[in-house]
Amino acid sequence: MIHFDQVSKRYDGGHEALSQLSFEVPTGEMAFVTGHSGAGKSTLLNLLGLIERPSHGVIMLDGQNLAKVRGGGVPKLRRRIGMVFQDHRLLMERTVFANVELPLTIGGVARPERSRRVRAALEKVGLLAYERQLPATLSAGERQRVGIARAIVARPTLLIADEPTGNLDPQLAMEIMGLFGEFQQVGTTVLIASHDLPLIKRMKKRVIVLDHGRLVADLAAQEVL
Amino acid sequence: MPPENVPVVDQASSPRAEKTQGRRFASWQEHHGWSAAASLRRLGSRPLGSLLTIAVMGLALALPLAFYLLLGNVQKLGETLGQSQAISVFLQPDQGPQQAQLLAKQLGERPEVASVSVKTPQQGMDELAKMQGFTGALKTLDNNPLPYVLQLQPHEELGATAIGQLVTDIRAMHSVDMVQDSGTWRQRLDALLAVGNRAVLVLASLLTLAALLVVGNTVRVDIASRHEEIGVLLLIGASGAFVRRPYLYAGIWYGLFSGILAALLAIGIEFALADPVAQLSQAYNGKLQVGGLPLWLLLAVPLAAALLGWFGARLVSAWQLRKAA
Repeated sequence: MIHFDQVSKRYDGGHEALSQLSFEVPTGEMAFVTGHSGAGKSTLLNLLGLIERPSHGVIMLDGQNLAKVRGGGVPKLRRRIGMVFQDHRLLMERTVFANVELPLTIGGVARPERSRRVRAALEKVGLLAYERQLPATLSAGERQRVGIARAIVARPTLLIADEPTGNLDPQLAMEIMGLFGEFQQVGTTVLIASHDLPLIKRMKKRVIVLDHGRLVADLAAQEVL
Repeated sequence: MPPENVPVVDQASSPRAEKTQGRRFASWQEHHGWSAAASLRRLGSRPLGSLLTIAVMGLALALPLAFYLLLGNVQKLGETLGQSQAISVFLQPDQGPQQAQLLAKQLGERPEVASVSVKTPQQGMDELAKMQGFTGALKTLDNNPLPYVLQLQPHEELGATAIGQLVTDIRAMHSVDMVQDSGTWRQRLDALLAVGNRAVLVLASLLTLAALLVVGNTVRVDIASRHEEIGVLLLIGASGAFVRRPYLYAGIWYGLFSGILAALLAIGIEFALADPVAQLSQAYNGKLQVGGLPLWLLLAVPLAAALLGWFGARLVSAWQLRKAA
């Protein structure tokens, strides 16, 4: 369960990226956060990933107040969150397998178990045949799928994705969104920031609309036209 | 129904719940092994830069070793020469063999004296005759003008003050004309060695600091060139210790290899000095005992240098990662 209560984020220069934002996303729900550029979508995800801290308000994740997560607690919390980025953020000198394996290595999972889980994740995103290749040899869509495999391999309770289909053609974007839908079906909470309205409409999931850091609409799946 | 192959989210079997301490330790060990190997590969992937760093550190560590070797040998040289320097007691010209033997017996009974021998005027003349250029001059002499000489060997453990007191006592004896001793030059040599030891200590400290800075800067550049990778690792939940580990191993490798280089350079210096030292030893009838660096020191240098590399890398990586986090 994600719980935002009157959350604001103001930067040093005075710019307010988020303003008194309150909403909840129940466990196992998939939701989109949308809005024009600068609406605060990425800031919202950054607050959940502890990349940034709110200026005001409370953020709770599965009952844990994120404001109280400090020091060694930050990496522990991040291990419970799978993050997917628009620019993939893969380690280019490591193979596809090694990239996907990283969260498990960090989490201290034994090697045989790691190997099994990495292959399962790569098979899920359709890239098992590419496990020994370097990311540089893959297309943008394939790289994004490697990023998704890395995000889900440690079985996170929350999956957040910042414009995961930004560089992909519509068909590939729909495939990627389909993958997210599958993870949501098995109980993972999925929160996706995207400004691709046609794609969001086709997914028929809950949509949180931001404008200048404020919540202007919170549409249930059945309300999305 | 969950689709096949989808990693199922299950709190009870989440990584945190299912990991045992044994697994954690095995994984920790495995990451240490990986970090050690990966950092070594990284060093090998830029051989010139790595070699230059190791060479600079190695030279910085070899210099104090070379000075230590030099000082140690000068000290041994002083000890050896000191052992060969007896106190020479020249008796008055009117003192005959009986007086010489009597005085030798008296002096030999003193606790400071290890041995006494009597050198007759004839023995002194024979020694002079052996010296080049004196033979002709000695033939012109009607009488042997040389006095009886007592050669005293003080006990080895005797300090400079005690030897000085012994010499003063002997000088006060009415049958003694002159006393020659080696105490003064030994005192000067010991004082010079003390200065040298302190200088080596200061130099070693400065050069160790230089080596620390070299490894620290190398690791800093390495971390700076990998800030994107570090950022990704931190985002996916890596702890500071996990991220830092390969850089600490890099510091250890730099230190270890530079320590080995320093030890090899020191051995090379020993070999370079071997011939002239052997010649010097021959000049003292093989009595001169000079030596190289002890084995424990040659083994300790690489280990200490590895520790130094680790420390330098730790200082810098902690600072760099605080900036990145």
